[in-house]
Amino acid sequence: MRAGTRRTTAARARASAGPGRAASAVAGCLGIALAGALLTGCGPGDDEPETVRFTFSKREAIGFMTGVVDDYNASQDDVEVVLDTSGVDVVSASFVRGNPPDLMLANYNMEVSRFVERCTLSDLSDTEAAGGVREDLQPLMDQYGRCAGRTSALPYSVMASAVIYNKEIFAAHDLEVPRTWSELLDVADTLQDAGVTPFYGTFKDDWTVGQGWFDYAVGGQVDTLGFFDRLAAEGTDVGPGSATSFQQDLAEPLARMTELTTTYVNDDAASRAYGDGNLAFAQGKAAMYLQGPWALGEIAKTSPDLDVGTFPLPMTEDPDDLKVRVNVDLAAMIPQGAAHPEAARDFLEHLYRPEIIEAYNESQLGFTPTADAPPPSDPRIEGMTRYYDAGQVYQGASVLVPKTIPVFSYAQAIVLDEDPAPWLRSLDADWARLAMRQ
Amino acid sequence: MTTTTATPTGGDRLVRRRARRVEPVYYLFLLPSLVLFTLAITVPGIIGIFFSFTNSIGIGDWELVGLTNYVAALSDPAIVQSYLFTFGFSLVTVLVVNVVAFGLAVGLTSRIRMKVGLRAVFVIPMVVSGIIIAYVFNFLFSNSLPAAGQALGIGFLETSLLANPDLAWTAIVVVTAWQAIPGALLIYIAGLLAIPGDVYEAADIDGAGRTQRLTRITLPLMTGYVAINVILGFKNFLNAYDIIVGLTGGGPGTATRSIAMTIISGFNGGDYAYQMANATIFFVVAVLIAVAQLTMTRGRSAL
Repeated sequence: MRAGTRRTTAARARASAGPGRAASAVAGCLGIALAGALLTGCGPGDDEPETVRFTFSKREAIGFMTGVVDDYNASQDDVEVVLDTSGVDVVSASFVRGNPPDLMLANYNMEVSRFVERCTLSDLSDTEAAGGVREDLQPLMDQYGRCAGRTSALPYSVMASAVIYNKEIFAAHDLEVPRTWSELLDVADTLQDAGVTPFYGTFKDDWTVGQGWFDYAVGGQVDTLGFFDRLAAEGTDVGPGSATSFQQDLAEPLARMTELTTTYVNDDAASRAYGDGNLAFAQGKAAMYLQGPWALGEIAKTSPDLDVGTFPLPMTEDPDDLKVRVNVDLAAMIPQGAAHPEAARDFLEHLYRPEIIEAYNESQLGFTPTADAPPPSDPRIEGMTRYYDAGQVYQGASVLVPKTIPVFSYAQAIVLDEDPAPWLRSLDADWARLAMRQ
Repeated sequence: MTTTTATPTGGDRLVRRRARRVEPVYYLFLLPSLVLFTLAITVPGIIGIFFSFTNSIGIGDWELVGLTNYVAALSDPAIVQSYLFTFGFSLVTVLVVNVVAFGLAVGLTSRIRMKVGLRAVFVIPMVVSGIIIAYVFNFLFSNSLPAAGQALGIGFLETSLLANPDLAWTAIVVVTAWQAIPGALLIYIAGLLAIPGDVYEAADIDGAGRTQRLTRITLPLMTGYVAINVILGFKNFLNAYDIIVGLTGGGPGTATRSIAMTIISGFNGGDYAYQMANATIFFVVAVLIAVAQLTMTRGRSAL
């Protein structure tokens, strides 16, 4: 009915022709699109294979995933998996239209977790894949919110990040990987005295400050999980008087961060961006670089043979506090409103077959979240394996703050202003205001 | 219509009555744009205003929350700051654009060489997309200008303007003005060319000097054009988005976040209803400004 009336409007618009012709053509398409949306309920005939729409938009891995999908389609005739790489915004829009994909493999973050919190994803707890996932990752998933009684998403790829360091520079100055805060300062001083820039800062891109400096500094000193639980409990009370707040709990950790960013980075850090940083680090212009494994591929483009390694940023005097930052780079989800949930589950199990999930993570420098998977063999991320295996991990504080609070901008301002206090007060006020609204 | 004054009473009434009756075909001409405007602007606008009274995040269930979003928005320093920034930035940019464009227009309509070629050169920035301009200037401000500052020993230029929370807005004004000047320039040139030559001749005979000719003849006769440029420019600058995104991304910190940028953040941040409230406030403010500008300029110039 609705599509019908829209179509007559469009037809009327088209009849009036003249200068509005292009516009009325648009209106016509709109009418047809609406009519089309009503028809999507019709399934294919019995003989045709069932179509599973599978969304996946991690650019670096589209080639790999296309191969997996093609092999699967060739191996059987019942299901035809269609890879949709159009990105997270399109997926969000399809939820709004009531036409979600059958299977999603997406970065697990505050944006995707909205689907979890509003219970728009189906329960995966009875799948074989769910049984194989490491249990200690569940708290990390739950941190983004959950739908009671359901396993809404399964981790597929976990990325660990820490300090990337130039092994050649470290060897040239007889330096060991620091394990405590004072050792870190010693290393930085030694490098600086020798005329080497200890850290390369790219403060122009605010996200690099957020995911690197801010997250490592907080995660290395604060129990991130507990901190955000307590913050959530305080809700609208978060502020100068509350037991837990950004200004009380993060002031000290961030003071150490600004100590590093004011003293030990390149002079032009404020006007350097992510791309500049990759290039400079690859050219050996600094000894350490606070980035995730995604930067390793970029660095290798400039200097394929550069010997680099990784270590967690030590922020305390206790080596037992060393932890690496992790994020669930990919998680698998099947929407409640999926048109072909059974076929999607079959393909999900296929994706979790050891040879596929392990090959995927090996190729992307990620950690496989299944219990019996071997660690990645790439020597560049070897330095983080020990901590990941022991569960000495945290999720970045900057990604756990809801996106509506511009925490990356605040992190950048803290580094540029060299004074965390006013920005932490803003974070508290924003947090309380958000709690009031939601 | 103007001829009616010449014809006596009986004919006058006839003409007027005929003029009042509108041909129905004109309504048909109006229809396509009316339908499209309603579907694409009015309806979504009303839906948006409705959702500003809910707690919707764009998907799933929602409930009415009354004025909560408005109360929160008006006390949100990030939103208040984005209004202050946007209005300050728009005022300064309007001023810069119109002063420079007016000066250029006077120069380019006087008797100089290469007039046509120079006009073309000055209009080029108008045809380049804002985001491209912003990225090119981003490179200049981050790399070239600091290098020049170092070479010449000018202290405050040695670090990027874009990284300085107190000065980043000046870079945005410069780039926005660079793009906006041609539009204003064209309107001013058209205005200057429309001033009849005999007024200047009369002024010459009365012994007016160059400055007097500019302040007593040109400027008063141009007020209508100045008003158009100021109103259009101010309206455009209030919506500033692409150049800021390309230059600073709202940074450093939150120093250069415009109203449009905060509203957009509601879509990818899952804060749909809240930013709809912000957008509604912005809409009301924009309407008030438009009404104020129209009443102020209506008396003085023939708009």
